[in-house]
This record gives sequence, C-alpha cells and structure tokens, in this order.
Amino acid sequence: MLEVHGLAKSFGGQPLFQAIDLDVAAGEWVAVVGESGSGKSTLLNIVAGIDRPDRGTVRLGETALDYGDDDALSAWRRRNVGFVFQAFHLLPYLDVEENVALPLALLGEARAPRLERARAMLASMGLTGFERRKPTSLSGGEAQRAAIARALVHRPALLLADEPTGNLDEANAAIVLDCLARAVRESGAAALMVTHSTLAAGRADRIVRLARGRLRTA
Amino acid sequence: MRASLAFALVRGTLASSRWRLALTLASIALGVALAAAVHTVHSSALAEIDRAARALSGTADLEIRGPRNGFDDALFVQVASRLEVAVASPIVEIEAPLEGRDETIRILGIDPLRAMRLQPAFVAQAASTGAGEAGTLLDAHAAWLSPAAAARLRLHEGQMLRVLAGVTTREFRVAGVLPGLQAVGDLAVIDIAAAQDGFARVGRLSRIDLRLRPGVDGARFRAVLHALLPPGVVIEVPASVGERAAGITRAYRVNLDALALVALATGAFLVFSTLALQAARRRHEFALLRALGVSRRGLSALLALEGAILGAIGSALGMALGLLGSRTLLRRSGADLGAGYFSGHEGVFAPDPAALGAIALLGIGVSTLAAWWVARSVGRMAVAEALRDRAVDVAPASPWSVLLGATLAAAGMPLLFLPPIAGLPLGGYAAIALWLAASVAFVAPICRGILARVAPESNPIAALAFAQVRQLPGHLAASVAGIVVSASLCVAMAIMVHSFRVSLAHWLQGVVGADLYVRAASGGDSGYFTPEEQGRISALPGFAQVQWLHFDRLVLDGQATPVTLIARPVDERILEGFLAEPPGLPKRTDDVSVWVSEAARDLHGWRPGSRIELPIAGRRVPVRVHAVIRDYARTWGAVIMPLAEYRRITGDGTANDAAIFLAPGMDSRRAEAAIRAALPGARALLFEDAGDLRTRSLAIFDRSFAVTYALEAIAIAIGLAGVTSSFAALAWSRRREFGVLRFMGLSRREILRMLALGGAAAGALGAALGFASGTAISLVLVHVVNRQSFHWTIEVYWPVTALAALLAAIVASCAAGARMSGAAAVRHEAVMAVKDDA
Repeated sequence: MLEVHGLAKSFGGQPLFQAIDLDVAAGEWVAVVGESGSGKSTLLNIVAGIDRPDRGTVRLGETALDYGDDDALSAWRRRNVGFVFQAFHLLPYLDVEENVALPLALLGEARAPRLERARAMLASMGLTGFERRKPTSLSGGEAQRAAIARALVHRPALLLADEPTGNLDEANAAIVLDCLARAVRESGAAALMVTHSTLAAGRADRIVRLARGRLRTA
Repeated sequence: MRASLAFALVRGTLASSRWRLALTLASIALGVALAAAVHTVHSSALAEIDRAARALSGTADLEIRGPRNGFDDALFVQVASRLEVAVASPIVEIEAPLEGRDETIRILGIDPLRAMRLQPAFVAQAASTGAGEAGTLLDAHAAWLSPAAAARLRLHEGQMLRVLAGVTTREFRVAGVLPGLQAVGDLAVIDIAAAQDGFARVGRLSRIDLRLRPGVDGARFRAVLHALLPPGVVIEVPASVGERAAGITRAYRVNLDALALVALATGAFLVFSTLALQAARRRHEFALLRALGVSRRGLSALLALEGAILGAIGSALGMALGLLGSRTLLRRSGADLGAGYFSGHEGVFAPDPAALGAIALLGIGVSTLAAWWVARSVGRMAVAEALRDRAVDVAPASPWSVLLGATLAAAGMPLLFLPPIAGLPLGGYAAIALWLAASVAFVAPICRGILARVAPESNPIAALAFAQVRQLPGHLAASVAGIVVSASLCVAMAIMVHSFRVSLAHWLQGVVGADLYVRAASGGDSGYFTPEEQGRISALPGFAQVQWLHFDRLVLDGQATPVTLIARPVDERILEGFLAEPPGLPKRTDDVSVWVSEAARDLHGWRPGSRIELPIAGRRVPVRVHAVIRDYARTWGAVIMPLAEYRRITGDGTANDAAIFLAPGMDSRRAEAAIRAALPGARALLFEDAGDLRTRSLAIFDRSFAVTYALEAIAIAIGLAGVTSSFAALAWSRRREFGVLRFMGLSRREILRMLALGGAAAGALGAALGFASGTAISLVLVHVVNRQSFHWTIEVYWPVTALAALLAAIVASCAAGARMSGAAAVRHEAVMAVKDDA
C-alpha cells in the first residue's frame, strides 16, 4: 500500500536521514521509534505530503506524491490520509460530532449522512452521548478517541499517528491503543505511528528504528 | 504586588508584541491628535479674535455699537458730554471689498486725536510723534495699515489702497504701517470724515468707544446709557466681542470636537482588543500569579496600569502630533476648517492648556477603562482551570449583554426631548452616546444569533469560517465593535449630510429663481447701487423684471448676534421657494408683514401672528410676523420685509443685489455686457447666473463638510486597523488549527479563503449593525442635533449608492485585512505549528 523509497532529508545542511526505504501493507500497523531529533516526525510529515524530501519517492497505491503541487497534494491528503496528533487538536469552535465529521465535510458529503457516519465512528470509539459536547469538556483519553474517529471517518488508505499517547496517562493510553488497533484492523488502512512509548510500540505489528539516518527493523 | 515587579511585568508584556503595540499606540495617538488639532485651531482663532478686539479697544471700558448702516452721530455728542465719560472716540467701521480681489479689508474711520487717547497704537510712535503723524491721519486721502494688512496686500508707504464704495473705487495713499496694531489682523485706519464721506456714512457712526472717569460704576452707567440709546444700538464691554465669537461658533466647534473624539473612541476598542488578546495569551501567567498569592485586585491593578501606560504614551504622542499639525495648519491655511466661521483669521498658535489636558486625560482614561474591562474578565478566571488550560481564548460576552443593550437604547429615548442647554443639543449627544454603547453591547449576541442561522452547508470552507466568527473571541468582538462605532457614525453623517445637501439643493432651486444675479461687490458692507444706478439697470431692454435686494443687520437688545434683515419684493413665488409656513401672502392690513427664519423663531420666540418691534433706522418699528421661512444661509436669524416698506420706513433707496428675470431671447452674457455698459465706472460688479450661484453654494457646502469627511475616514481606518489586527492575532493564535486543517487536506489557498470569509463575515456583521445604529443616529442628527444647533429643518433623503459603497468597502477591507494578516500564519510551517506549545 505505502511504499517509501530512497527518502532523504537535510536540515540546515545537516543530513537527517538518507535513503530510507519503507513499505507498509494495507491493514498493517508499523511503529517508528528512535531518539528525539532522529527525524521520526519529519518522516511522517513527508509521507503525509506536508514536508518535502530532498530525494526519494513516496507512493500510496498507484499514486506517487508530487511535492511541487500544493493543491494536488492537499486534495490527495484530504481523500487518502487520516492523522492523529499528540495534542489531539480538535477544533474548539466545533462540537465533537462536527469535529469527527469534518473530513467528510471537506470531501463534500452532505450534512445528514456525514453526521450519521460521525456518530457511528464515535460509537465505535465508545463515545456515544458525546456528540454535542465541546472538545474542551473532554478528558485526554476521550479527546484522543474522538481524534482517532475523525482520522478514520472518511476511510482513508493511510493512517498516520504522531505520538498518539504522548499526552495520556497509562490507563488512557491503553484504551486509545486498543481503539487504534481495532480501527486499523477494521478499516484496512496502512498505519504508520511514531512513538517514544514502548507500550505503544509494542502494540504495533512491526517496529522499525530510525537512528543515525537509517531505518532498520527493531 | 510590589511596584518594581509590576513594572517589570508590564515592561515585558509591552515589549513582547511590538507591532501590535505600535498599532494600538498609533490609534490612541491619532484620536488624541485629531481632537487636539481641531480644538487648538479653533481656540487659536478665538484667541486671535479676542486679542484683536482688545487691541482695538485699547483702554476703553465700554463700546456702543449699532446696525450695519450705523446710527445717527448726534448720539456721540449726547454721550461724550456726560460727566462720567473721560474719553469718547467715534468710529466708522466698514468691511470694504478690495478692488480686483475677492477679499475684503476692515477699515476704521477714527478721530485720531480722540482715538489715540484710548489706543495709542492708532498713531505711530505717539510718544515721539505728537501731532505730526496724527496730522497725516487727518488727510482724507491717507490710510495707515496694520502690519498684517501691509504684508498680505504687499503694500508699503506711498502705494495706493483701492477699495470699493457703492460700485466705484476709492483710493487711499498708504501713509505707513502702525506697528502697534500687530495683533488686530488686517486693518486700515483712515480719517473718520473720509470714511463717512467716502462710504456714504455721512452723519452716521458704527461705534463709540468710551473710557469712564475713575470711580464711575461701569455697570450702573451702562444701565443709564442704555436708556438713552435708540433702538438697534447696544452698549457692551469690549471683551464681549470674543465671547460673542465663541457663542456664535460654539455649536459648530462642539460638533467638530465630538467628531474628532469619535476617532479616539474607536481607538479605545482597538486598545481593548489588544489587551484582551494579551490577557488570553497570558492566562497561564495570570493563573500562576494568582496561585502565588496575587489578589484579584492586584491583578486588575496590573492590567489597569498597562492600559494607563499605553494611554499615557499614546496621548503624549498624540498631543505632540496634534500641536504640530495645528501649528502647521494655522501657518499654511489659517484657522478656517471649512465652515467659514473663521475665514480670514490667520490664528496665531494659541493652544488651550486646560482643554488639551482634558483631551490627554481622556486618551489615558479610555485606555485605562478598556484595560479595566479586560481585568474584570481576568479577575473572574478560575485559577485551577487556567493553570491546566493553555487554550488561547477569552471569556465570552456576558449573558446580560442583550439586556444591557436594550436598557441603554431605552435610556436614550427620553433624552431626545430635552431642550438645548447653553445652545447645545446635549440631550441629543447623550442619546447618541447611549445608542452607540447599546450597539456595542449587542455585537456579540447578535453575531452569535445571526451566524447560528447562517450555515453554508454546501461549502465547508465557509462553514468553518462562520463557525470561527460565531464563537467570536472577546478581542475580535471588540474589534467588530470598533467597526460598529465608526460605521455607525459614518452612516449617520452620510445620511445627515446627504439629507442636508438635497434639502439645500431643493431650497436653492426655490429661492434662486431669477436668471441672473448682480452684486455691487463680492463681499463687505460698502458695495451698493444708488437709486439712479438701479433705474439705469431696470430700464435696460431684454430685462423682463429686476428685483432689488437690500441687506441690513439689526442689533437686538440683549442678544449676542445681530439678525439679518432682507428687504426685497415679496411674492408667492419667492415665498414658495422659502417654504413659508403658513404659505401665501397676507391679506391687506395696516401692519407691516414680515417673514422670519426658523433660527429667528427659535432664538427670539417670534411666531406667526405675533406682533414684534424691530430696531430699524434708530426707531422701534412695529411689525407682524406672517410666517416662518426656511433659511439655510444665515444661522443666527433672518427677517424678510417688503422692500417698499423698508424704503418707506428708512428713506434709504440703496440696494446691494439685483435679481434679474430675462426676457425671452436675452441671455446672461449679453445682459452682463449691457449692465457693464450702463455702469462703466463699476469695475467690481459680481455676476452669477442661477446655475452658477447654486453650484457655488453647494461647493461651499461640500467644503464645509470636508473636515467632517476626513475625520470619519480616519475613524473608519482605525476601526479597520483594529479588525485587521484582531484577525492577525486570531490567525497567529490558530496556526495550530491551520496546521491541523492542512494535515486534513486544506490547501494554503483554501485556508486564506477561510480567513477572508471570516473577515468578511465579521465586517458584514459590523457593517450591518453599524448601518442599523447609524440610521437611528442620523434621525437624531437631523431632527435634534441640527435643529437645536443650527435651527434648520432638513428632510431625510437616503444616499443609497454611497451607503452601499461604504458598507461594501468595510466588508471588502475586513476580508482583505483578514486574508493578509493570516498569510504569515499560513506560511509558518504547519508541522511546527501543530507541535507548538505556546
């Protein structure tokens, strides 16, 4: 599903990583671990089309990313990528239901069906009854589960997660990881997760380590 | 909190966002500068008028003055012979048009031997000159100039001063300059006999200045002398000239001051917006201070201190700018800001420290008040929540906003019915202030209410934009409020000025009915047509009808300003033009019927049907008020009397203007040529056809409001700057959200479009509220403020195109400003933004 080939990136003249190759199959959950500053999040952002590599290619299915066209990249990302952030990043001026439905709204889906799908996703995350609440009233675990629902509501081919349990206590982290695992299994998306947490990494199907500019299976 | 810590915190805060700080300071400074400049220009003009009057009157204790054509000089003998009088100086005062120029000069005809005892400056170097210079003044062909007149006219000793008397030119040889008359402005001094003879004032005086003997009770003597004076002649202290000028111009000056202060008020919203945003960002810091033991009051004091410092710096900058601006304006173009009240006055720079101090304090006050309002919100903050919560949002609007707004609006209603206080429509001003405050209170709830019903489902970008504005953080609400205030006043002024202009245009259409108008001179008192000259013109072929007009100024007992008397033929057509109420001519009676203007009615209580006495030609003439007319030309009252009646009463057959109705086949150009041929010696005649006269009148009207338009534009610019600043802050504070939206597949262009739509929504809400509020305020301006200030009736007309353009410009500016201000936040790497902890 996801094919990364020969990816290289430098910052300020200093190479961050060189010639990274990575394949993630549909329904597979891969964790990327490594020290701070090793380039894990940069790798994730390049795969998402937010950042631009110095060299190399990223393909999702048949499509190779064209980093020169922001509009095309944005449209591709809208359709094919779901992203889970460390700090959840639910929009404070939308209620939970509207937050979850936002990717469907951006894809032009009508209000009634998209809210229905959002409610279904929230139910799958154990958040029935939370639809009308504002994000600021949620606990960390609840907010992250809502964020996972948002990331998957439009059935993307690729799920990217940057430290999804970084702001959570152990108990909530476990719950979120359970949700993530189930969601990846059920959606069939290729999932790539960056994490410092051994607990989180341990839940993935495969762990790779980014160190000294190289990606190796851990 | 210790003062040192407080100042350290304040200094850090103010240094942390320099460009926004600069914008906030600029808005306060601009508001203070405008108010200071307008006030200083006017105070300088009034000071000059007062100084000139005092300089002219010298050591006189009292002055006797009469109408435009003067009074019988026999009064002089009666007054001068009184034991109480030490010195009496007779004066003939004429405002004479200059030949070949569209200007006038004040000419004083004096008895030098008497005058120099009251004002030695009338004679050059009196101490060393004695009778020599005074002797020159007795020369009928000599004139002495004030330094200002000599400089402006570029005349020096030996050259000729040419002025108009009647339709012909009088020449005076410039004998020299009187350096002691530096403060009096433009002035020429000639011998009194030459003035009487040369300007058809034989046997007439304009003024008598008196110095009383030591020990004489001035007030008692005034009362005694008052009983001797003929009607239309009054006795005053010289200082009252300045007070009179202040009284005449008070309504105009106060209106302009109020308008200038609007810019300051709009700036206050920008201050609130900035401080609210800062407070939101520093929520964590404030929570920490509270957790460390700083009380609510201490925190509020800290914020108020920030506001006061901002206000002080802004006010200081503004005051310097305002004083510099007014000084430059006075030097370059004099003291007239367009309405003509102070035209011709140079205005030596004379700031009023008390008023400027009040303006500076107002600048500090509004800034401190804005800070205190923010402090209230911060004080209500729940410390524990704020320590955890790093969200950049501020307290929403109070749920009592709607009730507060309704209360303020209702409180303004009864004020509309208050009569003027000291000639000022204070009730109207107070109502306007309350309604503006009400519209501000309504901003947040109405925004939420409208946007809740506007849900562009088919457009996710618009839906996101509206959702952001619907929430309306406190600082954005304040900026929208600034737009509402400035837009309200712009809309109100646009409707009022347009209504006034259209009413004036209709009125001009009615009263300027003749084909051609001829004036003996373009200005001043000394231009007139003799009966013989009138006969020659009236007899010219091609003239269907010639109507002659004579103007006089009537001085009423106890009144600061004279009433203009217009003696002219009165018929149905002209009464219809003047919108006489009741309409029509009176039935034949023995009474002399007159028509009084709205100002005369309001100021003197003259109503249709009432019998009054007018001081004409030294007599109290009984007349009957037949109707009230509309007169936009004279603020202080006018009376129309049939010319035949005036001539019968006074025996004065002269006329100042002619209104000529041309016969078919005759045109204005040929008519002008014929009149010039009939009066070959009359080189200063002014010809205007009806169209030119109406056009010129409307041009004067437009010029008089030029300063108003400029002040409104500045207020709008400050309001728009506030919205742009708020959107910039909003964009920067939401850059993490933009990053999230970028991750979710929005392009940079789409995010900027979202910002623009949000800006347009905020601008549209502000413009719509401003329109509603401004419309209501315009009715107050038309029916209360204008009526009570200037005594004019104006019909309401709607400048639809201009209003639509104004509102569209506000929306477009807000959209553009929001888009521009968001560009930096969108350029910032999204990946860094979503990881930002700040």
